Amino acid sequence: MVKAKLKPLEEIFGMIRSYKKILTLSCGGCVSVCMAGGQREGMELTLELVEFFRQNRLDAEFTHYTMERQCNPEYLFDAEEIVREADCVISTACGAGVQYIAESHPSKPVFPALNTLFIGIDRDVGLYEERCRTCGDCKLGYTGGICPITRCSKSILNGPCGGTHFSDGSCEIDREIPCAWNDIFERLKSQGRLENILTVHPPSIWMDQAQRTMVQYGFEERYRKKE
Amino acid sequence: MKGLKTEEKIKLILQRREAMIKLCLSACVHCSLCAESCFKFHNHSKDPSYMPSYKALHSIGKIFRKKGKLKDEEFEEMKDLIWNKCVLCMRCYCPMGISIPLLIAAARAVCREKGYYRTYDVISKRIEKSKKVLTK
Repeated sequence: MVKAKLKPLEEIFGMIRSYKKILTLSCGGCVSVCMAGGQREGMELTLELVEFFRQNRLDAEFTHYTMERQCNPEYLFDAEEIVREADCVISTACGAGVQYIAESHPSKPVFPALNTLFIGIDRDVGLYEERCRTCGDCKLGYTGGICPITRCSKSILNGPCGGTHFSDGSCEIDREIPCAWNDIFERLKSQGRLENILTVHPPSIWMDQAQRTMVQYGFEERYRKKE
Repeated sequence: MKGLKTEEKIKLILQRREAMIKLCLSACVHCSLCAESCFKFHNHSKDPSYMPSYKALHSIGKIFRKKGKLKDEEFEEMKDLIWNKCVLCMRCYCPMGISIPLLIAAARAVCREKGYYRTYDVISKRIEKSKKVLTK
């Protein structure tokens, strides 16, 4: 799932300090699962901002509301009126949610309260690890289920680079970081699939340079552009 | 909604959605087709409490009938129904055109106003149990 982290309070304060009616809009989706922007976190943020404004002798009226999803038009109805009443919105959603709220209310300043970090796995409660950068050209099939884009310090697709410490299989950047390509080699070796990395693969198309839109299989006809 | 009491906020939430809730609740013909499209229903041995229609009728249906005046334990029970048994994936199909996720989202909005919502830093008993089973 998408993982995010709260921005420093000073940064949020800097964006909203000139507004008088401020709405904190939480999201009940991914950011509430990683405990960055759900209802509880949104309420806590609102209280902290109230205190911050008070300390800076500024006067503002704060409201808090939680939408089930900020990235889906079905749930926009929920907060329509509340957003309209506010001077600005601080969204505790991921980058997609913030942009969708801003797009739906073009006259309203919408500010992000979170830094959206990555798609990751839950190691434990509150402990997450990046596993995917949504590059759009998944290599996991021949890298033994280990992503070289996220796991390798240099994100190289034809590793190892030569900087692997052979004594412990760590990366030259940091001894604490395991070399992704060493791990890929070891895993493929244990599965008897070493030919997967011995084969030369065609160069990758770096799709994350441009904005992407995806149409799911079976829906092509529905979204085909009419000539 | 600023300055309103919780009960007034709940009243407002229900008022805004009154037409939609009334229409949806009366249009449901209990055909159970929505259940067929719910992965939660299938993954839980077709337990009827996972049927999307059941979840909607026993959450927002109940709240609407009682005008939001439910006991705390009823809200607590409802929390399991609308958060643990539904992920709002929007894949449930209704031949009558009822948007079940919107109904469940309305129930969630009421519960949120009452201070009942899902938190993710408490490991649920279900996860604890499955962890024990898996590590045996």
